[in-house]
Amino acid sequence: MSTCRVNGRRYVLDPNETIAALLVRLEIAARYTLVERNGEPVERERYEEVRLEDGDKLVVARPVAGG
Amino acid sequence: MDELVIAGRSFGSRLMLGTGKHPSMESMAASIAASETEIVTVAVRRINLDDKDEGIVAFLPEHVLLLANTAGSATADEAVRTARLARAGGLPAWVKLEVIPDARNLLPDPVGTLRAAETLVADGFTVMPYMFPDPVLARQLEEVGCATLMPLASPIGSGRGLKLVEAIRIIIEEASVPVVVDAGLGAPSEAAAALELGADAVLVNTAIAAADDPPAMAHAFRLAVEAGRRARLAGLMPEREVAQASSPPGNLSSVP
Repeated sequence: MSTCRVNGRRYVLDPNETIAALLVRLEIAARYTLVERNGEPVERERYEEVRLEDGDKLVVARPVAGG
Repeated sequence: MDELVIAGRSFGSRLMLGTGKHPSMESMAASIAASETEIVTVAVRRINLDDKDEGIVAFLPEHVLLLANTAGSATADEAVRTARLARAGGLPAWVKLEVIPDARNLLPDPVGTLRAAETLVADGFTVMPYMFPDPVLARQLEEVGCATLMPLASPIGSGRGLKLVEAIRIIIEEASVPVVVDAGLGAPSEAAAALELGADAVLVNTAIAAADDPPAMAHAFRLAVEAGRRARLAGLMPEREVAQASSPPGNLSSVP
């Protein structure tokens, strides 16, 4: 069973799950959902193709109100 | 009004808005509309997986430039990380660079800001650094390729106005990139004064967001920025040490 962490929380991965699929599953897919994978920013264009692997650590972020 | 050009892109408005601290998203959206701004700043934060509200983007008009800021970054590395994440996720390759290690006074780290600016410019970003109004630092930031300089008028969120005006005046005189007075402006009159002084633009957040009627205050700032810019272009009269009558000499008893 493969797992990843998203903002520190553990999730079991679906087989061959992509970043895009995970964002949809977690209900956080949006125009500007930002993803860092194992410390590296992921280009938005690659969300559909990047398959998550066991042990991946993701940070998901987004724009918020700020000065 | 004449256009503001930053890194080759033209803007009709010289008023930039921060989106923080508004009483509601609707109030923020109404303030953006009333301000007629074309650049708004947004911060970048982790998504709360337990509270997935719809976020800010749905409330921002399509035509405004979303300028990601690196607020919250205490180090150059964290600021670079934030900017790169924002760009990778589809935000424009423009960044309002903030490196602020000091939580009480919110004053930026000049060395860290310069280092991060150099890295981000080399990485293709249009970099707009928030800075203490130090003219030497301003020159250095310009030399590494920053697209603007963003000196603070007084501490962030303080509403104390153009306290550091003499240093900002030197930066304006020497800069060859646009100077955006950012932080500390509390009233439209202060925004007008900044533009009269020769600042190319101002960035306002709390003065609008914390007003009793934020959209009405945004409108007031729009008018003040336009007035200040028009006054600057019209050429202010020279100051004089003593009074000089506006009317011809004499009165009804004097013989012409």
